[in-house]
Amino acid sequence: MTNSIIKLAGAAALALSGATASSAQEANLLDTIKERDSLLCTGHNGSYLGFAEVDGEGAWQGFDIEFCKALATAILGSPDKLQVIPVSFAQRFPALQSGDVDVIIKVTGWTQSRDTDLGLQFSRPYFIGPFYTMAKTELGAESIADLDGGVFCVNAGTTVERVLADYMETNGVSYEPLAFEKGEELRAAFYNGRCDAIAGFGPFLSATRVNAPDPDGFTILGDVMKLEPEGIVVRQGQEDFLDVINWMVSALLMAEESGITMANVDEMKANPPSPTIERLLGVTPGVGERMGLSDDWAYNVIKAVGNYGEIYDRTVGEGSRYKLPRGLNNLWNNGGVLYPLVLD
Amino acid sequence: MSLTLSNPDNPTGFVAALRKHFFATKLDAVISLVFGALIIWFVMGVVDWAILDAIFRLENRDQCTYEAGACWAVIESRGRLIMFGLYPYAEQWRSTLACFVIIATMVLSCVPLFWSVRRLPALWVGGFTVFVLLMRGGFWNMPLVTSEQWGGLALTLFIFSAVFVIGMPLAVLFALARRSDLPVIAKSFGLIIDFVRSLPLLTILFAAAVVVPLIAPEALQGNKLMRVVVAFAVFFAAYQAEIIRAGMQSTSAGQEEAAIALGMPYWSLVVDILLPQAFRNTLPSTINQAVITFKETSIVTFVGFFELMASGNAAIGTGEWGNQYVEVYVFLAFIYFIFVFGLSRYGAWLETRMRLGHG
Repeated sequence: MTNSIIKLAGAAALALSGATASSAQEANLLDTIKERDSLLCTGHNGSYLGFAEVDGEGAWQGFDIEFCKALATAILGSPDKLQVIPVSFAQRFPALQSGDVDVIIKVTGWTQSRDTDLGLQFSRPYFIGPFYTMAKTELGAESIADLDGGVFCVNAGTTVERVLADYMETNGVSYEPLAFEKGEELRAAFYNGRCDAIAGFGPFLSATRVNAPDPDGFTILGDVMKLEPEGIVVRQGQEDFLDVINWMVSALLMAEESGITMANVDEMKANPPSPTIERLLGVTPGVGERMGLSDDWAYNVIKAVGNYGEIYDRTVGEGSRYKLPRGLNNLWNNGGVLYPLVLD
Repeated sequence: MSLTLSNPDNPTGFVAALRKHFFATKLDAVISLVFGALIIWFVMGVVDWAILDAIFRLENRDQCTYEAGACWAVIESRGRLIMFGLYPYAEQWRSTLACFVIIATMVLSCVPLFWSVRRLPALWVGGFTVFVLLMRGGFWNMPLVTSEQWGGLALTLFIFSAVFVIGMPLAVLFALARRSDLPVIAKSFGLIIDFVRSLPLLTILFAAAVVVPLIAPEALQGNKLMRVVVAFAVFFAAYQAEIIRAGMQSTSAGQEEAAIALGMPYWSLVVDILLPQAFRNTLPSTINQAVITFKETSIVTFVGFFELMASGNAAIGTGEWGNQYVEVYVFLAFIYFIFVFGLSRYGAWLETRMRLGHG
């Protein structure tokens, strides 16, 4: 009930915002941010495990927050210039339209209606949201096909239920669905061993596993049932700002591809091994100026948050408690779908 | 108060009372034993979980497992997040101080000494000013902390007291307007009250937080916290107005007519005759409304404020402490209980006091 009210209110606010946003021609946001000397980025009203959570001292951390920091560093030179505004999922688009935030970095799927109707603009995907299956480790399954005939716990009436049914039908795997109305019931049933596996959004599954009585008793299988590309969202008409975001993501990926890390970036800058890295780290001038940034912006970003792999590992990957497989979020040469753009 | 005479044939004392109340007949005895056992079993379980098997200090994170009792170490580790939300760590002493200021203001305004037309508003204006200065800072050695970063208990108390203090006069105004002799005013305020009451609080807060910035001119917007508090106060006022109106209607029409016949001015009629009786007659419902409002403050989390409940959720929203949600919720419930129980006891005290003074 609460949820539907929020959705309704959100829809009403958006209908309104769509009308006003198109009428007003906004100033260049990049200049506004520089003038304000802080970047307003989205947090969460509570915690979204691994992506936006709060530590014991009230500081934000997580995968999405690291990208906020990277963006603040690219534009303003320091991750401390980031101001995280807590917003709920329903509130994120109205908050962007009303200017409460400059940018949404909040696991937001790139869908057509959002891109067109809502007057939003998406960056290139910075995270590929996978739907995975998590099975009991004792079954020894390595792929979904190994679970043929098993019992799958699912949330009744959700996208996941449909994704699972589609995948199983396409791949000719038989299974027995066991539907639950509430997430807590689903988890409890899974922990108690009433089902062999559950399907769900990757980050959700890894959070479920972390909270299990015995986290090692569950394994996320590598098969991706479906994916949802997540983009960074800005208001329509902010092309310059969007350019910076796209190249920021690209710089993080390029850094990983070239082996530049938070630790060795100074060394790399002193002795750049290739002309591309020379350009990336601002040894050869030009890459910053074109976008209205300082030439060492990418150097600052890598120095502050590390490369894409380091961010992933620290917040949701192997180095964190969540241990979400890198999977599709790997670089193209490591079996993933991510790649940097060309820096010339 | 009635005076009971002790009956010489009826022995008094603990054992006798026990026999009389719990073991008078066989059925009574069975029921008493069964429920007594159930209560003891339940209390033992709680004591086991909360104290005996509980882990208070943590040498090693993996001590807190599913089998062990409560893991209170979560409060030690995440307590400051729960109490202060996103307030900057180094500045949290200000938030603590601000909490005390607002609690002191609340307590003082409950003392009859401050119940005068001049003292009460002065107290609250003073209390809020000190609170906002402390929380916001931006002078001396206190860096600026914008209201987006306020959180935890301080924010919950601020929202509650601001809603109450702004809402109460508004409610009186609404109630009087609805009883106005001018049909235009009476009808339009009736419509406003019914309109506000027919909307869910969440919708109103969402509109205030998110929609207003899209349509209102910048000068009228204020900050988000202000808009939310005002919207919440209007919502509170719509309900409280009806409570006050009920109180006014329960005074006999004769009193009002007599006052008019004596030539009392309107404000004197309201302040000296109607309102005191209205408040006294509706004290239980007013306390009720205050308690509900205190608990409903947690709804502001949906528009992105880190009040007590949201801070609690953030505290368990990490892989490290995700399983300790029961402990955190118990802790939160305890904080809410202190305030709500205090409010109820205060209401009960007020009632006794009024009865003593006015038969």
